Amino acid sequence: MSMNTETVANTSNNKAKVAGGEYLTFVLGDEQYGLEILKVQEIRGYDTVTQIANTPDFIKGVVNLRGKIVPIVDLRIKFKLGKVEYDEFTVVIILNLSGRVVGIVVDGVSDVKALKEEQIRDVPSLVSNIDTKYIVGLATVEEQMFILVDIEQLMSSQEMALMDSVAVH
Amino acid sequence: MSIDMSQFYEVFFDEAEELLAEAERLLLGIDMENPDAEDLNAIFRAAHSIKGGAATFGFMDMTEITHVLENLLDKIRKNEMVLTAEHVDAFLAAKDVLKMELDGHRLATAVDEEQVADVKMMLKSLSEAGGLAAARASSAPAPAPANEPKTVSVKPVAESAPVTVAEIVNSPVAAVTDGLTHFNIVLPEISDKDASNLQEELSLLGEVSTSKNAQGRSVLSLATDSTQADIISICSFIVEPEDLLITLAVAPSATAQTTEPVATDAGYGFFDDDIPTFASASSGATATPSVTATSTTAAVKEAGKITQNSDTVKIHEEVGYGLFATEGKENEEEGYGFFAPFQPHPDAAVAALIGDDTVLTEANSGKATVEKVAVTQTETNPTTIANAAADKRNATRRESDKAPAATETSSIRVGVEKVDQLINLVGELVITQAMIEQRISALDPVQHESLINSVGQLTRNTRDLQESVMSIRMMPMDFVFSRFPRMVRDLASKLGKKVEFVTIGAATELDKGLIERIVDPLTHLVRNSVDHGIETPEKRRAAGKSETGTLTLSASHKGGSIVIEVTDDGAGLNRDKLLAKAAKNGLSVSENMTDSEVFNLIFAPGFSTAEVVTDVSGRGVGMDVVKRNITAMNGAVEIRSALGYGTTISIALPLTLAILDGMSVSLGHSVYVIPLNLIVETLQPRAEDIKTVTGEGRMVHVRGEYLPIIALHSLFNHHTEITDPTQGVLVLIEADGKKSALFVDRLVGQQQVVIKSLETNYRKVQGVSGATIMGDGSVALILDVPAIIQMGQTDNYITGAIPFANYQNKAVETQLI
Repeated sequence: MSMNTETVANTSNNKAKVAGGEYLTFVLGDEQYGLEILKVQEIRGYDTVTQIANTPDFIKGVVNLRGKIVPIVDLRIKFKLGKVEYDEFTVVIILNLSGRVVGIVVDGVSDVKALKEEQIRDVPSLVSNIDTKYIVGLATVEEQMFILVDIEQLMSSQEMALMDSVAVH
Repeated sequence: MSIDMSQFYEVFFDEAEELLAEAERLLLGIDMENPDAEDLNAIFRAAHSIKGGAATFGFMDMTEITHVLENLLDKIRKNEMVLTAEHVDAFLAAKDVLKMELDGHRLATAVDEEQVADVKMMLKSLSEAGGLAAARASSAPAPAPANEPKTVSVKPVAESAPVTVAEIVNSPVAAVTDGLTHFNIVLPEISDKDASNLQEELSLLGEVSTSKNAQGRSVLSLATDSTQADIISICSFIVEPEDLLITLAVAPSATAQTTEPVATDAGYGFFDDDIPTFASASSGATATPSVTATSTTAAVKEAGKITQNSDTVKIHEEVGYGLFATEGKENEEEGYGFFAPFQPHPDAAVAALIGDDTVLTEANSGKATVEKVAVTQTETNPTTIANAAADKRNATRRESDKAPAATETSSIRVGVEKVDQLINLVGELVITQAMIEQRISALDPVQHESLINSVGQLTRNTRDLQESVMSIRMMPMDFVFSRFPRMVRDLASKLGKKVEFVTIGAATELDKGLIERIVDPLTHLVRNSVDHGIETPEKRRAAGKSETGTLTLSASHKGGSIVIEVTDDGAGLNRDKLLAKAAKNGLSVSENMTDSEVFNLIFAPGFSTAEVVTDVSGRGVGMDVVKRNITAMNGAVEIRSALGYGTTISIALPLTLAILDGMSVSLGHSVYVIPLNLIVETLQPRAEDIKTVTGEGRMVHVRGEYLPIIALHSLFNHHTEITDPTQGVLVLIEADGKKSALFVDRLVGQQQVVIKSLETNYRKVQGVSGATIMGDGSVALILDVPAIIQMGQTDNYITGAIPFANYQNKAVETQLI
């Protein structure tokens, strides 16, 4: 528990840093999420992916993005949200996280919202599929709640198994 | 072992050319009054680098010139001498001569030995008398120059250049019979060993015999078709060229007539441009001399003929030499198109008396005015001959000007990122082209014949383009390996060890960027192996090994990596010693660490088990740097060692850029690529060839061998319809001397693929060495064959008894620990 309060303290620090930024909001199941727009490289449709052996099921595989091999993560599977279907409406957000390019599959992309610091609230300690340490804050816009995710932290976390465990070495 | 150095010549040529150009640029821009110390240093460094390179590759003529150049530069650099215009001129002349010699080596164009000698003389006299002459020039603008400069200038030159003087004195009677020239070389006092070495060296040029002269100095008689410059360059290995006295042996049959044409032939071929210049600059009286002086050698030799043994002759020759050098330089300046307007010298007043063309001479050696004597003595020389000869030479010169332009292989330096961008773009193009090809294949070949033909053409062009672009960055490992034989030899003799150095796979190509970065770590490892690994002959004998240790450096492609190994058959790593040392250093160690963990301790900073710190190694810095460097290249280091048997340090580097000849195979809906060089054969087994062990582990019986079957679908947990080997295809793969049969669905085809790293955006996947993009734009994974064989050995997956996921989880767990 003490750890949780600590992370909350951290997030309030983060919040101060990211306040006032623009967020790309997207839908996972019934929930609205937001991530920093500057991390987004592009948005594209879901293409056939090449499976990679012996990987967690939420890593769909890799695609060819103009000559780059880019892994695709299905956040719906990872967070057990929404119906996992792949059709012409399935959207992949291509993120550029400090030079590493990763694609995430979401239910849909809604909007780009400019959020002010006072709109962002702290995250209460709770049990969820996302470790609260990856949530920077909760924002309310027109009675709607957006969960703001530190996507870079999340994607480079151990549990996503997207990178070689650099921290362990 | 012998190395073919010629493969590196091109690098040296390029570098030397760049350095020369740079030196020239600096020289031209230098501020005479207040030279920038940094510029002087830069010029000095350039000369030094060329000297070093030339010496390495055995271009002794260049070494010599740069050596004298360097001496002079060094004096100026250290403010022992004031930089003057003639210094700069001399440097530029030296630069031109170096360029000529460089071209001579590179393009086999003619090198004018005399011009070389002149420039060398000029540099020497400058470095020895330059300060003196400069001082005198300002203090005594002598109105009657015929006598005065003689006394000042003759001495230093005579001291510095007995060689040339002697040659010219005797040249009229030189023996040119049988195309061989007979030289008498008087050696300074040197040891018998040196003398015999010298004799041996010289015997490469022709017949040598030795004798002693009156002063007890050795005299070598040499009959050769080589020039004196060649002799000097060879001798300069052992004795100072200044100490040599080389004379031409007198042969009675020789006459002045025989030498005359020789002299004219040895011209420069750029005279006719000069004649009008000289004529207009000179008074009527000196016009003829200046023309005849253009064939200076002839003139000097004439002079020498007239009064062979008198002192004045010597002076004339020196003068001739000084003039000669100037001529050569000035002409070259015209020829090369820079430096056209010559700076008037402070004692231009004197110069006016004798004509502009002598300014340099006087400035250079302080004896220009004497030249008048020499020149007038040879007035009788018909101008027409000189003109005709000049025309002829001019023609040949023009021809030879064209030749280098046609054959010159030049290089440009380009930023690596530009090349990378090019490679990426070409990669894209190849994929696009493959897509087009695939679309085309769906069309009716009759209706679209011309389109299909055009695409076929495009395919070929794209392949060629890709190949040439890829080759830009690749270099053979030999580039690195060739540095070591010498190092190992020197180290071994220093340490009193006997080491045989072996390289394997020097032709393996590696990305240039990696080549450059692997040198330092590899140097360190080789040094370590010689110092710590291989024991002294006594110890080796005591251990029952041959006295000579073997150090092997090998490079090979292994599963998408380049593996470079440094292997010695020395003492091996001592586990207990390592543990004790680690404990002493405060590292947390325990007895039940695995060998490889213990060995990896040597990569810890400050860790050295050498009992004695030598100047070679043992300070404990380095191995951690080695590790860091290699990790920075995305590589991995592994140590294998057996106490008493030796150590292998294996560096695996990723092949980020290589193209791979691959066989694509299908498994379910996916396509995988297997490196072709690791495939032995493919076959469809008959049911009776499939054997089992305890009803589970399946094997295939191929030509008397039993090979384990590794089913890719169960290894990768990949769904497929085909689970019976007789329905699919077995690909026999071999790596690290182990063979296995990989069971896949189908063979798709053979093609070249561009290896793309999975790790750029993802992470390493076991059993996969990389990915590539197929013709349809989809991604195919490239199999890491050695890893797959190893995975297949760990468990036999055909039965699916142990799902691979478990195995991997285990691996992850160990990683986390």
